Amino acid sequence: MDNPDFSAQALRQAQVQMPEHGGRLRRAVAEYGIPLERWVDLSTGINPCGWTIPLIDNQTFMRLPENDDELEAAAAEYYGSSDLVPVAGSQEAIRELPRIRQQLFGESRVGVIAPGYEEHRYHWQLNGHQVERLAAEQIETELHRFDCLVLINPCNPSAVRFDQATLARWHQQLAARGGWLVIDEAFLDTEPQQSMIQPQMPSGLIVLRSLGKFFGLAGLRVGFLFADAEIRQMLSRAIGHWSIATPSRWLATRALWDTSWQQEARTWLESSRQRLVRLLEEALEDLPGSLQGRGLASTGLFVTVQIDDAAELAHRLAQQGILVRYFEPYSSLRFGLPGNEHEWRHLARSLTEATAAESQIQV
Amino acid sequence: MTALLLWVGVLIDLWLGEPRRWHPLVGFGRCADWLEQRLNKGSDFRRRISGLLALLLLVAPPVLICAWLMQWPLLQWLLSPLVLWFTLGFKSLGDHIEPIRRALEQGDEPEARRRTAMICSRDEATLEIERTAVESVLENGNDAVFGALFWFCIFGAPGALAFRLINTLDASWGYRSERFLYFGWAAARLDDLAGFLPARLTALSYALCGQTRRALRCWRLQAPQHDSPNGGPVMAAGAGALGLKLGGPTRYRGTLVKKPILGEGRAAACEDLDRSLKLLRYSVLLWLVVISLIQFVWILAAGVF
Ligand SMILES: Cc1ncc(COP(=O)(O)O)c(C=O)c1O
Repeated sequence: MDNPDFSAQALRQAQVQMPEHGGRLRRAVAEYGIPLERWVDLSTGINPCGWTIPLIDNQTFMRLPENDDELEAAAAEYYGSSDLVPVAGSQEAIRELPRIRQQLFGESRVGVIAPGYEEHRYHWQLNGHQVERLAAEQIETELHRFDCLVLINPCNPSAVRFDQATLARWHQQLAARGGWLVIDEAFLDTEPQQSMIQPQMPSGLIVLRSLGKFFGLAGLRVGFLFADAEIRQMLSRAIGHWSIATPSRWLATRALWDTSWQQEARTWLESSRQRLVRLLEEALEDLPGSLQGRGLASTGLFVTVQIDDAAELAHRLAQQGILVRYFEPYSSLRFGLPGNEHEWRHLARSLTEATAAESQIQV
Repeated sequence: MTALLLWVGVLIDLWLGEPRRWHPLVGFGRCADWLEQRLNKGSDFRRRISGLLALLLLVAPPVLICAWLMQWPLLQWLLSPLVLWFTLGFKSLGDHIEPIRRALEQGDEPEARRRTAMICSRDEATLEIERTAVESVLENGNDAVFGALFWFCIFGAPGALAFRLINTLDASWGYRSERFLYFGWAAARLDDLAGFLPARLTALSYALCGQTRRALRCWRLQAPQHDSPNGGPVMAAGAGALGLKLGGPTRYRGTLVKKPILGEGRAAACEDLDRSLKLLRYSVLLWLVVISLIQFVWILAAGVF
């Protein structure tokens, strides 16, 4: 066997807990004995009616990716800034940023929004920074202790939002001492006017975007980082030439060009969001005991409810073939949008069943 | 003249709908079943020939009688709109969709599901109601409306009749199952042939009466992935014209069939049942107007020369 590896890197990796994702549907199939095609999977916040993939020319697969294709121009047009680097999913930027920070400034004190997408916390820790989880309410008073602040806006899974004036103020404070404000805008495409992307990205402000959520193209692995020239250059060097596959670049370009689809999708998603909020409010409204509805918040792509006995409700919904995402530490459930009327009816029926069963139980 | 008879036939269909008491196609279907049970036997080759023979036996007599009757102008005037009415399922399509829509609006899913299962061969328990209903309108628009109108314009009443009978035989025999692969071959191929031009004109008129560019793009990109040469353009253009994403895996008699995605946009909802019927109505109107114009120009030209 190999000698044990005592490098600092290896020790850190052993301590830092890796976030868990995906594969839940298949696990649920086994656990609840319901065949795959009968499930309604609401466990992700991905647009269920994503952009439709056209036929791809065979040639596209035979060529290496070219960085001077039309992707960057299409993205600059869509996002309103050309201070960008295309990345293989925003995940790639999430992974590289802490390393770039380490190279430029060494170990930093980093506040990461919690509850929030855990990959941020994981990669900042992995690269040897001092990471603290921060609740949204703590940021204002605690910000002075940090070099970097990592936010998700609107936040996944809590759906907490930060307004532009506050974000601008925090950016000022951090930038004044060489700090960074990192904003992950993966769920912002339904309300682009809230974006912090600027035509000229100022130093210390970094914004991440993804084609995985609004466009429904999570498997394409395309995202963008917006930042000043120095960070863009370091990131480009770190990821090299060919990190996004040629077909992905080609499809992403077409999706970004398709403004009529985008407009239609915004309208459609907004009406779906309102419908899901209404449905959940009605279902969870007057429940006795442990399902007493507490909080309900939404982004354009999911609704999160915080309730006392979230685990039990998740379990009951799963018994009906509805998969939602349960966040244990925050006792909340995240519901993605149903994709068709069939799924809407299934959800409505299952909510009725799950909550009716609850009222018969003595709590 | 043709245009006038066409208008009359369509108006009779809108006025009377499907014959309620006795429908000649039901009798025709019985004859077809009877023949199939007797002839669909033996080697693959024999089944194929028997299928062709059965088709000729069933289609030729009514069509020849119809053609023979057409030699008297008065009979032609009186009969051909009636034959057209018989071959059209325009009003009846709406009559089948309406109860589904009503059941959906009343939140009566089992009833909507039952009604939807009646107009298709999909599994009742798993079918997606709205998607199936819209797909059925688009597809039947071609089979039960435009195909008949097209062949009526080319060969008059016998043409429309022949198309409808072949289409009916394709619907009962044109399957890829073990039982029908050879026996249904002739009906399926002849139906593909008879439907080739009308299907493309149907697709074009869906495109013109809906979101045109999107419909044409879907037709170009998605129709080739469909395994039916006529259903592909019709469904892709229709779905694109409505801005809906249709198609996808579908369960027929217990087996899951992979079908390509057709169209783009959101999934079908209750209001799309009416939208698809409206698309069909506008397309029929477009056909009637265009055919009348062509005929008008024709008559003018004949008068001048
Ligand atoms: C907040 C947030 N950011 C980023 C990502 C990753 O997105 P991408 O597919 O672009 O790597 C996710 C995916 O779940 C997410 O929830």
